[in-house]
Amino acid sequence: MSFATIYRVFFKRNAVFVGTIFAAGFVFQPLFDSGITSWYEAHNKGKLWKDVKAQLQLVGDEEAADDE
Amino acid sequence: MFSQFTKRLATKNFANKLSSKLVVGGVATAGLTSSALLYADSLTANALTAAEHGLHAPAFDWSHNGPFETFDHASIRRGYQVYREVCAACHSLDRVAWRTMIGVAFTNQEVRDMAAEFEYDDEPDEQGNPRKRPGKIADYIQAPYENEQAARAANQGALPPDLSLIVKARHGAADYIFALLTGYPDDPPAGVVLPEGANYNPYFPGGSIAMARVLFDELVEYEDGTPATTSQMAKDVTTFLNWCAEPEHDERKRLGLKTITILSTLFLLSVWIKKFKWAGIKTRQFKFNPPKTSGKK
Amino acid sequence: MLAQRLNGAKLLSNSSRLLGSRCLSSSIVSRNSTYRTPDFGSNVKQDRDADKSRSYAYFMVGSLGLLSSVGAKSTVETFVTSMTASSDILAMAKVEVNLAAIPEGKNVVVKWQGKPVFIRHRTPREIQEANSVDVASLKDPQTDADRVQDPQWLVMLGICTHLGCVPIGESGDFDGWFCPCHGSHYDISGRIRKGPAPLNLEIPKYELDGDKLVVG
Repeated sequence: MSFATIYRVFFKRNAVFVGTIFAAGFVFQPLFDSGITSWYEAHNKGKLWKDVKAQLQLVGDEEAADDE
Repeated sequence: MFSQFTKRLATKNFANKLSSKLVVGGVATAGLTSSALLYADSLTANALTAAEHGLHAPAFDWSHNGPFETFDHASIRRGYQVYREVCAACHSLDRVAWRTMIGVAFTNQEVRDMAAEFEYDDEPDEQGNPRKRPGKIADYIQAPYENEQAARAANQGALPPDLSLIVKARHGAADYIFALLTGYPDDPPAGVVLPEGANYNPYFPGGSIAMARVLFDELVEYEDGTPATTSQMAKDVTTFLNWCAEPEHDERKRLGLKTITILSTLFLLSVWIKKFKWAGIKTRQFKFNPPKTSGKK
Repeated sequence: MLAQRLNGAKLLSNSSRLLGSRCLSSSIVSRNSTYRTPDFGSNVKQDRDADKSRSYAYFMVGSLGLLSSVGAKSTVETFVTSMTASSDILAMAKVEVNLAAIPEGKNVVVKWQGKPVFIRHRTPREIQEANSVDVASLKDPQTDADRVQDPQWLVMLGICTHLGCVPIGESGDFDGWFCPCHGSHYDISGRIRKGPAPLNLEIPKYELDGDKLVVG
């Protein structure tokens, strides 16, 4: 795709430009969140509860906890 | 012409002298006032000696120090065991609900079982008699004493503070708690006179603390086989109490990482866009070519 | 001089008629102007690609907009989320009852979100009685099967649908519940049979899992 096409498709009409930005926001937000989270969890590997739980070989579901 | 010039110069000098006098006077007044206030404050301040302030706790290398470091949750789990088996005999943990430990250091079932070991007040029965029920995860951790008076009566008048926010409530935070727990010397230094029932701890302001040394090697038995040395238990219980005081700690740092990443990217982008928008303005040149009047017209 | 001006005005009106908005750059203005376009040659890029450079600029502006809008979105989400129930409320939103402790033919009242919940372990005879009623004759027609998940266990909110009193169990003309405030009679399925109450006793959301009942 040449730059001319990119310009014509995305940037020429302001409505398309703004619309693309907002649509991309909805895609970007969860991607960014999961990216940061996976880095954070990799950085703290071994200290997190899920690692500790696996190490202690405990079985249990924490998710059910919040709604009871 | 010349006299006029000197006159103007003189007025200017005079004005300069006056303003510099005012500046010097202002600085002197401010300095004297603050000195006087500091002196007045020093007359009434409570702690004058290092001993009265308590020994300053050294900075320990906590595994959750640093902007991107989470708590060590294995340590929180061991720390709760130390709290339950040692500290809970005197200290309450009023602001921590059982449910908050789920997914942090214990599984749902473990917390349910732990909570069920305690009895809580229930709704009265049909005749209005008070009833008891086993604890639920929505309950808050039960205090060892019914009320403050009972706590004081059992501890020679000294109230064991609630530990929910103790890490935030003490100067030096986790470092102070660890230093205090491990800082009991075998004997108080020569010349220190302690009141009846008090113990010496250099980290405690004033040096005389009602709590005796409680942590000794092999006092608890960790399920994961960690050797239960005094410092290990102190570290674990301090990490646990730090979690109690800051349960949002891990999530806060994750959000901080996200925020800093986004905001710094935004900053760099806005610098670029500023440069882009100003490029045309900054490189603009004005040039005036006077019209050639001769010849034409 | 005057002639020239008139001439100019005439030209201007002519050209504006002919060229519309382009009149300002028409020859008469530029001819009278002393402005001469300078040479920007030294400031112009060597290999110009207008599409590339403006796409790049728009991309940067767009990225700024993207990150700002994502930030604004999360800010709004944070405020909206703060309006939902907090975790301590959610923790109390459900009540767990051990059904094994309730013998057959007994009522148990538990508190759920401040409201009484009636739990009755019905006997086979009571189940039969609840099913034998002619549904069409009821004030608020509802079959017993609609009101229970397991016919053995009747779970309902103990609040009279008339004015909110708490009915008394195992009493009334239909051996169900009786509201002492204004005399509403409910049958063994909690349906209104007699009295001022307009509706059957309400059934809360609940789940049965073996001997465990979770209300909420």
